[in-house]
Amino acid sequence: MATLVQVENLRKEFGNVCALAGVSFRVEAGEWIAIMGPSGSGKTTLINILGGLDMPTSGQAIVDAIDVGRLDESGLTRFRAQKIGFIFQQFHLVPYLTALENVMLAQYFHSSTDEKEAREALERVGLGDRVEHLPGKLSGGEQQRVAVARALINHPKLILADEPTGNLDEANEETVIQLFHELHREGHTILMVTHAPSIGRLADRRIAFAHGRLVEVPASLKTSL
Amino acid sequence: MFGRLVRESFVRNPRRKVLVAAALVVGMAVATSTLTIALEVGDRLAREFRSLGANLLVTPQADTLPIEIGGVDYRPVNEGAYLSETDLGKLKTIFWRHNILGFTPFLDVPATIQQSENSDPILAMIVGTWYAQNVSVPDGTSFKTGLSVTHPWWKVQGRWFHDDANECVIGSALAATMPGVTAGKVIYVTSRSPGDSAQGQPGTTQAIALKVVGIVSTDDAEDKALLVPLAIAQKLSGHPGQFRQLFVSALTKPADTFSERDPLKMTPTEYDRWFCSPYISSISFQIKTVLPGTDVRTIRRVADTEGRILSRVGTLLWIVTLAALGAAALAVAATSATTVLERRAEIGVMKALGATNSLIAGIFLAEQLLLAVAGGAIGFVVGAALARSLGASVFGTPASPRLILFPVILGIAAIVAFVGSLIPLRRASHFNPAPILRGE
Repeated sequence: MATLVQVENLRKEFGNVCALAGVSFRVEAGEWIAIMGPSGSGKTTLINILGGLDMPTSGQAIVDAIDVGRLDESGLTRFRAQKIGFIFQQFHLVPYLTALENVMLAQYFHSSTDEKEAREALERVGLGDRVEHLPGKLSGGEQQRVAVARALINHPKLILADEPTGNLDEANEETVIQLFHELHREGHTILMVTHAPSIGRLADRRIAFAHGRLVEVPASLKTSL
Repeated sequence: MFGRLVRESFVRNPRRKVLVAAALVVGMAVATSTLTIALEVGDRLAREFRSLGANLLVTPQADTLPIEIGGVDYRPVNEGAYLSETDLGKLKTIFWRHNILGFTPFLDVPATIQQSENSDPILAMIVGTWYAQNVSVPDGTSFKTGLSVTHPWWKVQGRWFHDDANECVIGSALAATMPGVTAGKVIYVTSRSPGDSAQGQPGTTQAIALKVVGIVSTDDAEDKALLVPLAIAQKLSGHPGQFRQLFVSALTKPADTFSERDPLKMTPTEYDRWFCSPYISSISFQIKTVLPGTDVRTIRRVADTEGRILSRVGTLLWIVTLAALGAAALAVAATSATTVLERRAEIGVMKALGATNSLIAGIFLAEQLLLAVAGGAIGFVVGAALARSLGASVFGTPASPRLILFPVILGIAAIVAFVGSLIPLRRASHFNPAPILRGE
């Protein structure tokens, strides 16, 4: 497999606070990586840098042969639109757009809209009958499935999911995790931040963080289900 | 999708949209009313000023050398050459013919006046002029002009003479020296024309009986004179069809540095601009062109006063307009800043998904543009009504709405909305999506 993500001695400082203290690792294309660790350990900072939402203080974060730290603002915008599919804990859907329009919004920012393809994406996440619903009329699980459909619509190289099940009840968590399973089987590369060991164990590999550094993955997480 | 984003964004939070629209309505209403009045005020005030008297004096060029002190012309006009009455219709053929509101020729003749054939003669000046004369214009039309247009403040007890009758109006000071002269009385005027010694023509004596029809108060030298139809003065002086002075009342725009420049030193473009502007200098130039051999002088006391007042009124209107637009822009800026802050999360999500700064700015600007169109249109209607009311109260007649201002007002509204949104939009473009998505 080819290396899709290469992180070399990555540092990120917010004033006097060091969020990432020289992190290095690689992710092969098609891998599902669980990024784990306590709050404030640097997981989300790493995801933000890999997704072009934040810039490293030093070191390299290379995604699909692009050094994210060297991109200017417009380059970062293109990078986010073309290479990355984001799934957030808070869903972050646009409240006045329907489920279908939320998916089409990502298409619009990428290139051009295709309603048929957007409908198919929603059908795929089991929301074929909810396409015209506003986010406020959908359950948390349904909103997160819309977010998954939105993340997938532009066929991104890398899916970055930050606590995607953190706001879901058990039933909805199961549905969303099932979707991640399917994405993984189809060959998508997934970096998922999670606190839940049960979800972490589903990934191919686990990367554990503490105080901005990679640490040894606890034994309890080493065995995949 | 862009239209959908703008539409959805536009209909959300209607209270804030109403606030922006209201600010724009007020600003555009004030701008519409002041611009409408500004467009009319020049004409209106200039017409009002015309009651102050003529602003141009035309005399034969060969008359005298100029004697000007402090901008006031002190040249005597009672001697020298004459001008032809038949040329006067040409004044209504110049480029700014519609701005020539009126003109009145004058011919002064020294004469004696007797209350009866046997009474003692009194030496007085006879002033021949028009009260309301129809002048033939070369294009086949006619134009009524005379003292009724150029000297409306001259008050007469009784009535004015008919231009084609043997009638006269006596100056109030002169009437005071002739106790028996009242309206309806016939007086006898005698003059002696000088003749032409060079051609051996002797002078002749002319005597005419005139009916006094009114006593005029001018607060000027004419109070000591007898005003008669021009034709009678011409007959008394022996200069048929001629006159000595012409007072012209013309609508002009205030003089500025450009208007004072020498047209002979202008570039062709500057000359065209000057010629096609109703400056008193360009109208004078055009009058000289159709009345060759004349000297056209500005009656500076009148023109300068008009210019100063028009400039000040114009400046005042512009200040009010700019203040209203500035206030509207500030209101738009304050509301836009709040809107941008409220929609910070939405902007952060869009940026995370790959929306460019220009696209996000475009969504907000399109929304502001819609508000500008709505606010501008309503403001135009309100402003037109306001101008109508102001026109009626200030000038006596309502100011008619100027449709040409409609696109101008929409444009100004768009500019105000754009300027008011600039700082909030700049702020929005600098939003970093990462902390927004973290909920910070």
